[in-house]
Amino acid sequence: MSTRTITIEVLRYRPEQDQEPFFQSYTVPCDEDWVVLDALNYIKDELDRTLSYRWSCHMFVCGSCGIVVDGEPKLGCKAFVKDYGDKIRVEPLGNFPIERDLVVVIDDFIEKLESVNPYLIPKEEKSIDDGEYLQTPAQLKAFKQYSMCINCLLCYSACPQYGLDPSFVGPAALALAHRYNMDSRDVGRKAREDVVASHEGIWECSFVGACSQVCPKDVDPAGAIQQTKITSAIDYVTSFLPGGNR
Amino acid sequence: MSRKPYVRQMSKTSWFLTHSRYKHYILHEVTCIFIAIYAVILIFGLFRLGQGPEAWQGWLDGLRSPLGVIFQILAFGFAMIHTWSWFKVVPQAMRIQRGESFVPGNLIIGAHYGVLAIISLFVLILAGVA
Amino acid sequence: MARSSKAIPWLLFAGGGTVTAFILPVMILITGLFALFGVFSGALSYETMQAFVGNWLIKIILFGILFLTLWHAAHRLRVVAHDFGIRADTGVAIVVYGLAAVGTVATVIALLSV
Repeated sequence: MSTRTITIEVLRYRPEQDQEPFFQSYTVPCDEDWVVLDALNYIKDELDRTLSYRWSCHMFVCGSCGIVVDGEPKLGCKAFVKDYGDKIRVEPLGNFPIERDLVVVIDDFIEKLESVNPYLIPKEEKSIDDGEYLQTPAQLKAFKQYSMCINCLLCYSACPQYGLDPSFVGPAALALAHRYNMDSRDVGRKAREDVVASHEGIWECSFVGACSQVCPKDVDPAGAIQQTKITSAIDYVTSFLPGGNR
Repeated sequence: MSRKPYVRQMSKTSWFLTHSRYKHYILHEVTCIFIAIYAVILIFGLFRLGQGPEAWQGWLDGLRSPLGVIFQILAFGFAMIHTWSWFKVVPQAMRIQRGESFVPGNLIIGAHYGVLAIISLFVLILAGVA
Repeated sequence: MARSSKAIPWLLFAGGGTVTAFILPVMILITGLFALFGVFSGALSYETMQAFVGNWLIKIILFGILFLTLWHAAHRLRVVAHDFGIRADTGVAIVVYGLAAVGTVATVIALLSV
């Protein structure tokens, strides 16, 4: 297998000694089938044990290794070195505080995710003995795309509206709310609506569309948010009509 | 060990110049400036139409002035950018499900251009040409 | 968190965005081609336009187009102001929607004057 020697510039930040982040270069002999995460692992194993970053599965399932590669939010395990030049710039995800090196603080996202009730709210609880909540393949298809999210936060890194106003609930959380709203077994839309249809929810989105372009699982959060805008706006207007449900 | 997370600031006034996709976004957002000015010109034209032949002629002369021509060329360009960027994202905002599959996005976009062609042709015929 | 009243201007923005996407290019083409080459000069003559806009159906259609165009542009201007770093959103909203309201009234007066 052929190798190519590449310079990896990593944005470092060591809170106990650095006032601000700085780029540190490493020279890495990369195999041709390597992804950027492999290069980071090489640095960690062979060159610099102090480098911090998150990863787990190495196969775009866990969503831990989100980083910014040459200015683009990527999963480290899905960014192939062969697609880049001889110098690759690696930074932590944008729009989140840096805890250390490539590790960011994601507490804000976790709070937002919880705020949209991202779980099935069935009409009536059934015991296991009563059997499954049945669903047709077409009903599954209606929301399946939005259920593929792995919470990797590339979308938050790409979203300028989240960067400009961190109170924005943001792409992944709103897409997941939509995923449950679209589920035929779910009746929780009203419970989610107070957060979803607030100023900080869907209405903070101006449809830049960046979230959907960087999503490694083709979830299309931007589409989910626009669809939610349509139903929420119609709801809002009809709530003023006689018999409307405010 | 105490934590000291580092917060990076994003420029609030020039962030849209930092990536090509943000530049595309801001380009289709500012189409509204030209669309708004064009709408004001049309409303002004309706006023002039109500004020008699001379006033109307004055409005037409304004359209033909160098400033009027330059503005309309720009406005046409930005209107086309608006149309293009608007149609492009329709499949994301309006998915049409048929059974277990969705109507392909390109079909939805294509249908929009078809309707655009029909409306444009109709208006051109109404205006007495084409 | 309270449900946002942005739903209403957004509906006008979305409706207006759709209408302008379909109708504005050909409208600018007509006035622009006239301005450049004098084509459509008969269609834009005073008598023809008087008769055209004098029609009630045309008045209603023109009102619909201009009303939605104004509110589409107003709402998008509000977003653009935010994107350009102007953070006084309430003030911006009052100004742009106020202008759209004035434009709407002006459209009605202008159409009724023909």
